[in-house]
Amino acid sequence: MEDNIISEEEAAQYDRQIRLWGLDAQKRLRGSRVLLVGLRGLGAEVAKNLILAGVKGLTLLDHEQVTEESRRAQFLIPVDADGQNQAQASLERAQLLNPMVEVKVDTDAVESKPDDFFFQFDAVCLTRCSKDLMVRVDQLCASRNIKVFCGDVYGYHGYMFSDLGQEHHYVEEKPKVVKGSNEANDGPEAKKGKVDPNETTMVKKTISFCSLKEALEVDWTNEKAKSSLKRTPADYFLLQVLLKFRTDKGRDPQPDSFAEDSQLFLQIRDDVLETMGLSSELLPNTFVSYCFSEMAPVCAVVGGVLGQELVKALSQRDAPHRNFFFFDGLKGSGVVDYFGSK
Amino acid sequence: MRTSLLSPLDQTAACPRRRNAEPTMAQLVGPLRKELADSLSSCRVLVVGAGGIGCELLKNLVLTGFKNIEVIDLDTIDVSNLNRQFLFQKKHVGKSKAQVAKESVLRFCPSANITAYHDSIMNPDYNVEFFRNFQLVMNALDNRAARNHVNRMCLAADIPLIESGTAGYLGQVTVIKKGQTECYECQPKPTQKTFPGCTIRNTPSEPIHCIVWAKYLFNQLFGEEDADQEVSPDTADPEVAWNPADAAARATASNKDGDIKRVSTKEWARSTGYDPVKLFNKLFKDDIMYLLTMDKLWKKRKAPLPLDWTEIHQLESSQEEAFGTGLKDQQVLGVQGYAQLFHRSVETLRSQLIEKGEGAELVWDKDDPPAMDFVTAAANLRMNVFSMNMKSRFDVKSMAGNIIPAIATTNAVIAGLIVLEALKTLNSDFDQCRTVNLQCCSFHAQHNFDGFPNNNKFLSDFGIRNGSRLQADDFLQDYTLLVNLIHSEELEKDVEFEVVGDAPDKAPVSSVPEEGKNIANGNKDSAQPSTSSKAAAEDDDVLIVDSDEEPSSSTMETSLESSNRKRKHHDADTDDAASKRKRLDQQPADDDEDIIALD
Repeated sequence: MEDNIISEEEAAQYDRQIRLWGLDAQKRLRGSRVLLVGLRGLGAEVAKNLILAGVKGLTLLDHEQVTEESRRAQFLIPVDADGQNQAQASLERAQLLNPMVEVKVDTDAVESKPDDFFFQFDAVCLTRCSKDLMVRVDQLCASRNIKVFCGDVYGYHGYMFSDLGQEHHYVEEKPKVVKGSNEANDGPEAKKGKVDPNETTMVKKTISFCSLKEALEVDWTNEKAKSSLKRTPADYFLLQVLLKFRTDKGRDPQPDSFAEDSQLFLQIRDDVLETMGLSSELLPNTFVSYCFSEMAPVCAVVGGVLGQELVKALSQRDAPHRNFFFFDGLKGSGVVDYFGSK
Repeated sequence: MRTSLLSPLDQTAACPRRRNAEPTMAQLVGPLRKELADSLSSCRVLVVGAGGIGCELLKNLVLTGFKNIEVIDLDTIDVSNLNRQFLFQKKHVGKSKAQVAKESVLRFCPSANITAYHDSIMNPDYNVEFFRNFQLVMNALDNRAARNHVNRMCLAADIPLIESGTAGYLGQVTVIKKGQTECYECQPKPTQKTFPGCTIRNTPSEPIHCIVWAKYLFNQLFGEEDADQEVSPDTADPEVAWNPADAAARATASNKDGDIKRVSTKEWARSTGYDPVKLFNKLFKDDIMYLLTMDKLWKKRKAPLPLDWTEIHQLESSQEEAFGTGLKDQQVLGVQGYAQLFHRSVETLRSQLIEKGEGAELVWDKDDPPAMDFVTAAANLRMNVFSMNMKSRFDVKSMAGNIIPAIATTNAVIAGLIVLEALKTLNSDFDQCRTVNLQCCSFHAQHNFDGFPNNNKFLSDFGIRNGSRLQADDFLQDYTLLVNLIHSEELEKDVEFEVVGDAPDKAPVSSVPEEGKNIANGNKDSAQPSTSSKAAAEDDDVLIVDSDEEPSSSTMETSLESSNRKRKHHDADTDDAASKRKRLDQQPADDDEDIIALD
């Protein structure tokens, strides 16, 4: 899968990241093909991060057209591209980020793709997708060791989910414990000068993830779940409400229909929380006006975390976040949390 | 189970708080309320730095709706920037970062009003009045001197500053507001790690000691000689107890290489025509044998093993790690390999010197292949002498060049947080809902950076009188001085002041007139915009917050090292020769020295 020789050009360009995650990790990245669905603000950030990291190939898939609203937080699409396909309009600038990556465009709707379409990738990243689609793709992929990521930004809020399969193997670099000699000093009691205090060793680890379906279908009616409610980020429930909005309306809340969308949002909130056996107070009304469109800095934060999780998963290096990351741009707080079966 | 990845600095909302429970007919411009969007478009902000954080920050600012942005960076684009500074492409290598960043941003936001300066923020043109043009300043820097400077300017101009830094996977964002928060200098920052002279010259025990030695050697041979960068055995090492019986042995050893003390390394090298073999044998054989005569050093340490040029080349070539699948630079050569590399690089550097002409000096640069080869070779040969495992060029370059690993995602996250903090900061100004935090060092308010306008004023205009104590700070030299003012009627005719007492010996010592060596002025000032791919020198501090880019020119770096090293001498009390007196001349304070009245 990997091409074993790194060229001088790559060594020069990737120098600063090779010094961080090592040559092996870079080689694995170089051999990875990724599917990115959805090219709005968050998608553009993830695309940038993966292309700069030096993956082998990145397919940009989006069936929607560019509008003024859709390119608000998107820096890859030219200002005069309204009406074009979003993925297509992003291609040129995406490719210029790193000519060594094969950037491709697919203008089909992701719902229309057959199962085996996904099998050509090492990782898929789904943004702006319906819950059903995400659950379906997750089920398809995780069993084939294709890493699955989902993420969205809605106003000031954002989230990321990952399913790296039942057995995700990775390595961690730990300092080597050197017996006997201490850090050398210059006093008369100095020990022999053969120690390199910077030596490290690679430790192999394995971790398992649950499916998206399980993660979203947590039963909140039992006592144990209820007691953990206080520690549960409200963003988890916000996500559920927004996914339902997306399913019902076929789109996300839009600024130009603020009034009706706000009302609908509140109603869906009531429905969703009631179905879960929970109180509407978990998501106060004030949430609504901060869930429209995409905040560019929130795209940057969530896209950064998501991008780095993709890099970790593909390079199989460093402990992945398990399994959600929620970011609240109003508070500036980000949390990693686990939902699903243990 | 739940871990916090990002912790908020305070609870001020990024948006005006809504008190009513029901959403009203809010007008949104994208995700923002209209009032906020409007205020952003009239706001003027300054971004200091257009590198890793800077590129991401500029993008976030324009996409969020900021319209009036000024960006300043003295650096030019290098190929190693391209893995994260996404506004730059390969074709831009060598060009101004600020300028290219502006052009790239305009391509996706043509309506933005961006001014780019290819310049140093420490240039006096950017005075307090300049800073007062902005509602907010955001740092995207990689060195402490500039951060200190901007911190003070923002305090003087009373403009909020957002400070940040990244290194590897870690990053940090801090908001600094005069009167509300600590400033950047309120907490002492750890100084750069330095090593005592005797460790470098006599008893290295880690690869880094050998690398520092090799860099000093480069300067002694090819660059600007520095009294703080001696490479020859240190006879003043307090660990060495001189025994009269050893005197003969020492005398013999030192006569061989022409008496260490009287002839400089460069003069000696010149006298041999920079003969690589002679150099090799002096550095790795004769000098080592001399060290061996200082036997007290080796009672509890493994003694160094001298190398001989001829002997090395008679041995069978050692097995070298297969080039195979690693980077070429990650190969670790054997002693012969490094001896060859030493030979080649000395010859190349010698040619460079000749080409440059009489009195020429080279400046060490990690991106200059023969300079890097030389340090790699010399450091490794020394490591071998002192029985340390040798290091690849890749690793030596990291240590010698103070390279901080860097990736796009960390910078992306931090730059996102900066803009969110910016919104909070500007918002709290509009709404008058401040969050009062810690106490500030209020006397900073009396910083005065416009040196010239003050020349016609009296000290009393500044509240300075008999008995006042002044703290003078030169942060470029990392030097502080406490001055007590006492009025006197008994000065000589035409003498306006007299200095009595000793200055703390923390300033770097020069063997040439002070003006020529003063780090804060002239050709060593990193304030000169670079026109080549060499960045102006940066901070060597390896702490998370302070470094993003690495320095590639060593002039400032080594000067800072030496001044820090001098302080270490003083603190560690290991070097009697460090007790020197600094003569204060009667020049008015230059821009780099801030007078702070303490009472």
